[in-house]
Amino acid sequence: MTSVVLESVSKVFNAGRADEVTALTGVDLTVERGEFVTLIGPSGCGKSTLLRLVGDLIQPSTGTVTVAGKPAHTARADQEYGIAFQQAGLFEWRTVQRNVELPLELRGTGKRERRDRAREMLELVGLGDFAGHYPAQLSGGMQQRVAIARALAVHPPLLLMDEPFGALDEMTRERLQDELLRICASTGTSTIFVTHSIPEAVYLSDRVVVMSARPGRITEVVPIDLGPRGEATRQSPGFFTGITKVRRALRGDAVPAGATS
Amino acid sequence: MTTAVDPVVAADPAAPVIRRRGRPWLAVLPPLLVGVAGLLLWEAVVTVGRVAPYVLPAPSAIGEQFWQSREVVWRTGLASGENALIGLLVGAAVGLLAAMVAARFAYLGEVSIPVAAALNALPIIALAPILNNMFDSTSSVPRRLVVAIVVFFPVFVNALRGLREVDPIHRDLMASYAASGWTVTRLVRLPAALPFVFTGLRQASSLAVIAAVVAEYFGGLQNGLGSRITSAAANTAYPRAWAFVVGACVLGLVFYLVALLLERLVMPWRRV
Repeated sequence: MTSVVLESVSKVFNAGRADEVTALTGVDLTVERGEFVTLIGPSGCGKSTLLRLVGDLIQPSTGTVTVAGKPAHTARADQEYGIAFQQAGLFEWRTVQRNVELPLELRGTGKRERRDRAREMLELVGLGDFAGHYPAQLSGGMQQRVAIARALAVHPPLLLMDEPFGALDEMTRERLQDELLRICASTGTSTIFVTHSIPEAVYLSDRVVVMSARPGRITEVVPIDLGPRGEATRQSPGFFTGITKVRRALRGDAVPAGATS
Repeated sequence: MTTAVDPVVAADPAAPVIRRRGRPWLAVLPPLLVGVAGLLLWEAVVTVGRVAPYVLPAPSAIGEQFWQSREVVWRTGLASGENALIGLLVGAAVGLLAAMVAARFAYLGEVSIPVAAALNALPIIALAPILNNMFDSTSSVPRRLVVAIVVFFPVFVNALRGLREVDPIHRDLMASYAASGWTVTRLVRLPAALPFVFTGLRQASSLAVIAAVVAEYFGGLQNGLGSRITSAAANTAYPRAWAFVVGACVLGLVFYLVALLLERLVMPWRRV
């Protein structure tokens, strides 16, 4: 079953004006259920725009976006996806627990179930002991984990992540990558992940979608097959082959015939 | 997993930590000393320089008058305090509601800020004599109305600024939850605006007392601190006039401190 389908999608900002910008053009992309897909490309290639289109935070100029078998707008109204950004964007006036509860609250979930579910999610990201803290009391990495717990709280079939680890240090980043993979595997969540980092894209993904700018479009889709990830994966030849492939695709070089999988 | 993590160590060192408690007198002592030194200097200047009491009475004379008239100061202070409080509550409530409506409808917000700023520049206290004539002389309404109008603007302008500044990530998040309109106002705009609202309330709390006292200078019911200041001054009883000014000062300080305390109680996340 497919999780997300984009068909000949384009997005033009400020259409018909002097500052008209074609952010995306001719995008066709399908994300299967449980699949982890990463969008990578230079600044201005429209990867965040693409993510926001899937989330129905903006609407396409042409083409259709289908999420969980419904139009993107209906999917958003049904909270079919969870979303996390580069900044955690926690509500500073709510405790960690109540931050995670918010999406459930807006769904009309009962108080008891809300509490239990938030607890469960906080345990999942390893912050069970911090439920009563305010966001200001947590480090950046911990805040980001709360944001991920919040995105997962409604058990969405789809997770949208816009450079969620971009502002973190390398060690925290690698730890959270492993946590994210573990969570996605255990919940069967499909994920669309935006990043600038080639190693991050290769490590996390089943497929890396390489994009280029002016106008933003998909230039290549690189499949990655590294099996279950672990510490050894980051040192494995397959990992480095993947990195090389993605780097070449980003440069726009022709991939040598022998290197294609 | 993280069960053994010490929250204090794990938390970001740059994040605000719980403020050290104990020895609060260390924070109070320096300003207190400066205040006492100022009073002593004042006393010395008046005594040594033979300053006439109608120019500037000595603090000891004012203190003496304050003690002698303490019952009247208390009674009139209560009357002025009641006027200031009622006016403050009404003005702040209306200011906050108006700001919520103006923030909810973008166009209203654009239009109302310059209008509010212009009205705020008017000396609203000048309305007092007009209002006094609109109601009969035993009514407390005119003074409270003046207070409410004076209070309205700082609360409205500050609250509106806070309500309009929504973190773009919060806006996207609420959109992703399919929440809109008043739900966003209630769950995001209002709590995010609280620091702004309290900045407005702190300004308003002092203004409320000033307005309640000064409104009495222009007639109307004469049972507050303002009427005592004018009548004492008219009778050349300057130290007594000053004693009532001190009373008004204390009342203003009480209002300000209560607003400050309320701010800390309402926003516990700002104390961590």
